[in-house]
Amino acid sequence: MRHGFTAIQALALSLALAFLVLPVVAVFLQVSPAAMLTQLGSETATQAIVVSLRTNLVADLIIIAVGTPAAWLLARHRVFPGRRLAVTLLELPLVLPPAVAGIALLVAFGRNGLLGHQLNALGLSIPFTEVAVVLAITFVAGPFYLRQAITAFEAVDPRLVQAAATLGAGPWRTFRSVVLPLALGGLAGGWALAFARGMGEFGATLIFAGSLPGVTQTLPLAIYSEMNRDLDAALAIGGLLIIIATAVLLAVKMIPSWNPTPASSPTSARRFATSSSTSR
Amino acid sequence: MSTLRWARHVTVATAALVMLATAACGPLVGAVDEPTVLAAASLTGVLPAINAAARFSFAGSDTLAFQIQQGAPADVFAAASPKYPQQLFAQGLVAQPRPFAINSLVLIVPRANPARITGLRDLSRDGVRIVLGDQGVPVGDYARQALAALGLSGVLRNVVSLEPNVKGVAAKVALGEADAGFVYATDVRPVRRKVRALRLPAAAQPDVEYQVAVLARAPHPAAARAFVRRLLSPTGRRILVDHGFRVPAG
Repeated sequence: MRHGFTAIQALALSLALAFLVLPVVAVFLQVSPAAMLTQLGSETATQAIVVSLRTNLVADLIIIAVGTPAAWLLARHRVFPGRRLAVTLLELPLVLPPAVAGIALLVAFGRNGLLGHQLNALGLSIPFTEVAVVLAITFVAGPFYLRQAITAFEAVDPRLVQAAATLGAGPWRTFRSVVLPLALGGLAGGWALAFARGMGEFGATLIFAGSLPGVTQTLPLAIYSEMNRDLDAALAIGGLLIIIATAVLLAVKMIPSWNPTPASSPTSARRFATSSSTSR
Repeated sequence: MSTLRWARHVTVATAALVMLATAACGPLVGAVDEPTVLAAASLTGVLPAINAAARFSFAGSDTLAFQIQQGAPADVFAAASPKYPQQLFAQGLVAQPRPFAINSLVLIVPRANPARITGLRDLSRDGVRIVLGDQGVPVGDYARQALAALGLSGVLRNVVSLEPNVKGVAAKVALGEADAGFVYATDVRPVRRKVRALRLPAAAQPDVEYQVAVLARAPHPAAARAFVRRLLSPTGRRILVDHGFRVPAG
């Protein structure tokens, strides 16, 4: 009986491994390292890599700068009227298909959109610019960070926060020297998810920002455009994207081992370990 | 159970699954005997009127050609240019392609016409936002051809987006986000309340010929041939004309 159950579990794990790894393996069977190096020298690929990295960097800075304090507020105040509604609204982009996100951004920030007149008056036109790519990424990837950040902050023992206050630390100092170090692993995991989602962003970007090499054409858009012209080039750029994504994933897996608070009590260290493992 | 035995289970099962996945490459066969038609996005409005029961997948002709090269289990390929059907024919992937419809290229601008475009020359003014089909997407290649014929290739620096198919171009102009775009005459109808169409000078008008072919490995060859027969029949030609296409002589 126990034997049979284990066999089912093993089968399920094999199924998951085979299904999730096979397509990635297939890409690297089709494309040689030499072809990827050649693509690294091509204008399409270099421009797309620059656009992707630059837009994701800006979007991630915005997501972290705004998302971190917002998540801390939501995590510290577990009960207030409208909290559940606020969290649900923040998570809404997670369930929107990217095409819907793109159209929604267009009718909000487009030339004829909800804020179109105000933006036009300021001389701003967002669609077809790199700003549009940043907004699309922020919109679809932001909730991944927010969700994870709220969980990471909720796992911080409130007694530690109280203790810091009792010892005379102001809210800013408490946050910086107690809360942030304890939540860092979870926050980094959230950022990795947001970065991965942002690097892969396709539909919302195509609809809201269009696709123009060197301006709005990110890696996924370049792969799609190249696929119809030159499949080998598309595969090689795809291979590069997989390598970048894997590098980020590995880098983040290393972060919890940085354990930044050698002076923290055993209790808090254990809590930290728990929070960073459950958050993944 | 020891970790070792457990790990062996996983290894064996994984290997078996990978082999199974590699071996199981047979085509997916639908239950009903109706053709699956891969068709250019510009045919979205008309083909269901030819055969409502067929299953359609509309996309850029280049995307569809790529899917066929990758072994898509479809029956009929209807493309917005001779280029891809002829290419696939040369590769032995489709039977002899037949021309079945003719379209023309038009310039569309939003009804409000924010950039005040009245002719093709206005497209080279600074700040005009133009969307085109991407390179290799027929509607984009025809547009580049038309601009080159008029000596207006400088217009290309005003291009703000290269769309993967003609519907993407039409949508961006209809939403008023782009100032102008090149689409087929038949793409104007669904967005006619939101755009105005400007005709191209005869000298710049490319021949937009549609070709249809039955796939060499069609799962429903009889249904595929029946679909093509109906498309080329007097009824099919009438339906095409009703939807704004022209039909080839004969």
